[in-house]
Amino acid sequence: MSLIEVNHLYKEFKIARRQEGLGGALRSLFHREYSTRMAVQDISFAVGRGEMVGYIGPNGAGKSTTIKMLTGILVPTSGEVRVNGLVPFQERQKNARQIGVVFGQRTQLWWDLPAIESFELLKQVFQIPDARYRQNMATFSDILGLEEFLDTPVRQLSLGQRMRADIAASLLHDPVILFLDEPTIGLDVLAKERMRKFIREINRERGVTVILTTHDMNDIEKLCRRMILIDNGRVMYDGELARIKEMFGKERVLIVDLEGEVNGFSIAGAEVIKQEGNRKWLRFNREAVTASQLINHISEHYEIRDLTIKDPEIEVMIRHIYEKGIGSYEGACL
Amino acid sequence: MGTFKMYLEFSRKSFQRAAAYRFDVWTRIVGNVLFLFMWGFIWYGLYHGKSSVEGVSFQAMLGYILVSQALQGIHGAGTPLWEIQERVRTGDIAMEMLRPYDYTTRMLFSDFGGIAFYFITAIVPLYTVLFLVLNPVVPTSLVQLGLFVVSVILGYFIRYCIELTFGLFTFWLVETGGVEDIFYFSISLFSGSVIPLWFFPGWLEQVARYLPFQAIFFIPNSIFVGQLTGPAIWYAFMNQVIWLLVCYLILRLVWNRASMKIVIQGG
Repeated sequence: MSLIEVNHLYKEFKIARRQEGLGGALRSLFHREYSTRMAVQDISFAVGRGEMVGYIGPNGAGKSTTIKMLTGILVPTSGEVRVNGLVPFQERQKNARQIGVVFGQRTQLWWDLPAIESFELLKQVFQIPDARYRQNMATFSDILGLEEFLDTPVRQLSLGQRMRADIAASLLHDPVILFLDEPTIGLDVLAKERMRKFIREINRERGVTVILTTHDMNDIEKLCRRMILIDNGRVMYDGELARIKEMFGKERVLIVDLEGEVNGFSIAGAEVIKQEGNRKWLRFNREAVTASQLINHISEHYEIRDLTIKDPEIEVMIRHIYEKGIGSYEGACL
Repeated sequence: MGTFKMYLEFSRKSFQRAAAYRFDVWTRIVGNVLFLFMWGFIWYGLYHGKSSVEGVSFQAMLGYILVSQALQGIHGAGTPLWEIQERVRTGDIAMEMLRPYDYTTRMLFSDFGGIAFYFITAIVPLYTVLFLVLNPVVPTSLVQLGLFVVSVILGYFIRYCIELTFGLFTFWLVETGGVEDIFYFSISLFSGSVIPLWFFPGWLEQVARYLPFQAIFFIPNSIFVGQLTGPAIWYAFMNQVIWLLVCYLILRLVWNRASMKIVIQGG
């Protein structure tokens, strides 16, 4: 049986519609009109013990809504959620003992006190035995370098230090599952690397199942074999990252800088996927057309100042899946 | 037992947190003393050399104001209303639902910590000196003092329930300034914190007596200066206990509604 099971999950929000003008404002005091918004529609997936899954999608796609339903602070409109055998919203506090949660945008540490005080508080809250607490603190300090700032008030910590303290805090009670909502947001390259290394390590050494949402595709590439891609509350793709790369394997991106005024740029055999002024990104299938053919085509009509050829970045691939759906690629490329 | 230890840890952390803001204690105490002198002089002026007004001596009135300011200082050291509103607005309160404890109890114990620090470091030394120097009316027996303490504690719980309830209203409001105004207006006027209810015009006194706020300051203050004695004290206690039950039930109801709103509407 899977550790996390989500079946035909729906979540609908009721939004009070604002009525216009002063009259509308008065009327809304007594009578409000509501519209509904589907944040999550018919999402199903299962995650096995020890997996590390990237849960990605653009802003407002329904990522946080799903995570909140998995943690139990949001009740599904319909559908089924099971986390390690528990229905989270029915047994929220019991579920809380088996999960760790980090929201990159907020902290669970006491702002005015040294980080160590928050850890001690969590020890009491989750009734962590002394020996286990010491052991965990030693391990986390070792990998995350916590000692150097354990006695500094949290408000004085750098974002990187605070995130390290936050993730340690979420793991003190030995959760089976760790939910990370944008754990690397705002961090510099080194801090991100350190965070990823830690996440990898607790997944490997402790077998903690990790569900990760992020906008940084490097996080996914370096951490997750599997990714679930959602948009508009629906699953667009669920599978191995490698497979997506394979699909796009025959694809290349040609980036050209053109000279002079360019209007209505288009070229046969390639698709314009992005443009910034005179810089154009062209996606092409290298088996259908060679790069030199393409360059020739372009130079017949335009003057090329500069050019580069690249493998498509994951971000580009994902943007394409959002725009066109996965189906078109499965047909075209596999 | 473990649960109690956990909640107590919140008191300890709040105590430490208060200690981290020692400067805050000084500004509070300066404000508290300023108000004390302001009300002291106002009453001094109003008494205008009379030894008693409506059967209340000036020394008794002074005792009333002193103990009232001390209690207000203590109440003010807990989690303030705006902080509760802020937690609701930022959604931090939803995150607390991911913890294996009861939110309202955890907040209560946090309150204890902040209050304990302020009580020990500021209220006790300051008011010991003030009481000794100003020589106001004080309890004349240990029994009276004991009754006063019980009444203070009941009043404290009532204020806690009301303030947290008002804070939780933020869940249903976009603009919370109005709620704040109502709260602070009621807590300063109807509670009898600065003007005892016996000086209210008849109709206003009637209004105040049917509100919970008088159970916060007016009852303990009156016991302290001996204006409430004999069987009247037991009626006052009954009044406090009933209001505490009512306010607590309202708090639970509002909190349940608020948690429902979080889990259904996402806060």
